[in-house]
Amino acid sequence: MRLAIEARDLVKRYISYERMGFLKRKKLIVEALKGVSFNVDRGEVFGLLGPNGAGKTTTIKIIATLLIPDEGYAKVLGYDVVEEAEKVREVIGVALSVEKGFFWVLTGRENLKYFGMLRGLKGQELEQRIDQVIKLVGLDELNAANKPYEEYSLGMRARLSLARALLPNPPILLLDEPTVGLDPASARTIRNLLVNLAHKESKAVMVTTHNMFEAEMICDRVAIISEGKIVAMGSVSELKRMVSNRIAIELVFSLSQIPLNIIEERVSKYLSISEVSTEFLKEGKAKIRIISNPGEEEIIASRTIDILYSMGIKIHYIHVQEPTLEDVFILLTKKGEKK
Amino acid sequence: MSISIWMILKANFYSLFCWYKNNKWLLISILIWPYLMSFVILAMGILYGNLESFKERLNIANPVLYILATSAIAMSSVGIIDAVASFTIYHRWIGTLPYLVLAPVKTYKILLFSSIPESIISITLSIVAVIPAVMYFEGLLGIAKIIMVLLIVYMGMAPLLGLSILIASFALGVRGEENIASSLSPFILMISGVFYPIEVLPRVLQYVSTVMPTRYVIEATKILATYAIPEAKLLFTILYLLAILTIGYNSISALTLKSIEKWARRRGGI
Repeated sequence: MRLAIEARDLVKRYISYERMGFLKRKKLIVEALKGVSFNVDRGEVFGLLGPNGAGKTTTIKIIATLLIPDEGYAKVLGYDVVEEAEKVREVIGVALSVEKGFFWVLTGRENLKYFGMLRGLKGQELEQRIDQVIKLVGLDELNAANKPYEEYSLGMRARLSLARALLPNPPILLLDEPTVGLDPASARTIRNLLVNLAHKESKAVMVTTHNMFEAEMICDRVAIISEGKIVAMGSVSELKRMVSNRIAIELVFSLSQIPLNIIEERVSKYLSISEVSTEFLKEGKAKIRIISNPGEEEIIASRTIDILYSMGIKIHYIHVQEPTLEDVFILLTKKGEKK
Repeated sequence: MSISIWMILKANFYSLFCWYKNNKWLLISILIWPYLMSFVILAMGILYGNLESFKERLNIANPVLYILATSAIAMSSVGIIDAVASFTIYHRWIGTLPYLVLAPVKTYKILLFSSIPESIISITLSIVAVIPAVMYFEGLLGIAKIIMVLLIVYMGMAPLLGLSILIASFALGVRGEENIASSLSPFILMISGVFYPIEVLPRVLQYVSTVMPTRYVIEATKILATYAIPEAKLLFTILYLLAILTIGYNSISALTLKSIEKWARRRGGI
C-alpha cells in the first residue's frame, strides 16, 4: 500500500474561556481546523507548514490518535484514528516536543528502554534496537546515551526524541517541529536522517515546521496551513511557480537615525509598492526587501538606491532573488509579512 | 504489537528501579520519614500528656509500635494517592503523558496499571523502613506483626486505587494543572483517623470516613497492636469491608476512566 495517511475534511473546535471578572467568564469556541484534507504516501517527506496557531500541531495530534476530530476522518495505513486507535499506534512513531517528554533523572538509554517496553519490545531485541537508534540519531558520537536526561542539551533532547519515535521501527513517523531551536549541525543531522528514512526505508515522514529553508531542503511535498485551512499543497517547485511573477530585491544598508518603519513607509510610497519589509541585521546593518514583477527589478532597484541615498543612508549591497518557499508562505499566510 | 498488562507493570517497575538507583537521597529520605513523623507525634504527645493515658484512651498495648505502624500507613496512603491520582498531572508536567497514551493498548489500561508499581513500592518502602524499630521494641513477633500490617495495607491499597483513579480521571478531563490529589491527601488522612480518633470528628465526617479505605487499614493496625485474640473476628470484618470497597470503587473508576479518556481526547487534555 502506497497511501500511508489519509485525512479528509478534518474539523476541530476548542472551547476556551475568557475571564470577564472574578467569577464571570465568557465561553469562546476556537475553530482550530476548518476542513483539512491531505494524503501522505510511503517513501515521502510531507511537510505541514504554517505560522504559529495555524493548526499544525492539532492536525498531527489527530493523526497520532491523541485528539478526536469533531468532523471528518483520518486513516493511517487504512486504520481509522478514532475507531482503531490502538492499531494506528502500532504503526506510528511520534515526536511532539523536543524540549521535554522524558524522565529527568533517568539516562537516555534508560528512558528508551522504558518507552521501548511500552511499545512491546523486550529482551535482546529491545537492547539491539536501542543500540541501533542511538547510533542512527548520533547520540553515541556525543557520548550522551548514559547521561541523565536533565544534563542533555536541546540538540541531544531532539535526537533522543527522534530515537524514541524510531524505536519500534514504525513505517510512519509524525514529527512536530523536530529541529526547532537546534544548532545547525544537529538540525542537519536530523534533516539528513529524515530524508534517508523516507527515501531509503520507504517510511512516510510527516513533519510540521515553520522553517522554510528546512522544508525546501527535505520535503517532497508540502501543504501550507493558515488559520485552520490548507491554502496550498504540492511539491516545493509547484508552489514556487505560484509566485513566479514575483522577484525579491534586497538591499543591505547601515542603520541611521531614521527609524526602519519610516524608511519602509517612504520606499513603499515612492515606488507605489505595498510589499516592502525591513529587518534588523547584525553589526549595525538592516535589510529592506521589495517584491517586484519580473522585468522591473532593475528600475525598482535603482529607484530604491536613489531614495535611500536621498535619506543619507549608506548602501552595502544589492541582491535580486528568485522566489523562495518563504515568499509563497508569506503570500499565502499574510501573517508572515511583518517577519 | 499490542502489549500485555505485565509489560506495563514491568516497564514501570524498571523506571522506578532506575529512579531510585539514580536518586539515592530520595530513597534515604523515604526510609527516614516514618521515624521523623513518629518522633514528632511522640514528642508532642509527651509534651502535652503521657503515654499511659494514650494507651488507655486508644486501648492499645504498645503505643510505639502503633505510632510507627500508623505513620507508615499514613505515608503509604499518601504514596498511593500521589502515585495514582497525581499520575496524569505529573506526566502532563514532564511531557510524557502523550507517549504513554501512544502505547498500543487501551488508554485506561495504561493509566490504571502504570501507577500500580509505584503504589506497591511506596507501601513496601514505608513499611520496610519501620522494621528496625519494630525489631528493637518487639523482636521477631513485631516483625511478624509488621508483615501482617503490610498485607493489610496491600489489601487496603486495592480500594484506595479505585478512589485514586477516580481523582486521576477527573485530572485527565480538566486541562488545568491543579494538583487535586495533593489537596485531598490531608483530608483523606484526617477522616481515616490518622491524625485524630474518628470519634472526635464531626458527625458528617464520621459518615464520610465509613467509605474511606484507609480508615479500615488504621483500624486493623490498631487491632494488631493490641495483641487481643478475641478481636481477631473484628479484623476479618474489616477485611470484608475492604473487599466490598474494592469492588465498589474499582467498578466505578473503571467505568469512569473509559468515558473520561474519550472526553479528554476530544477536549485536547492529552
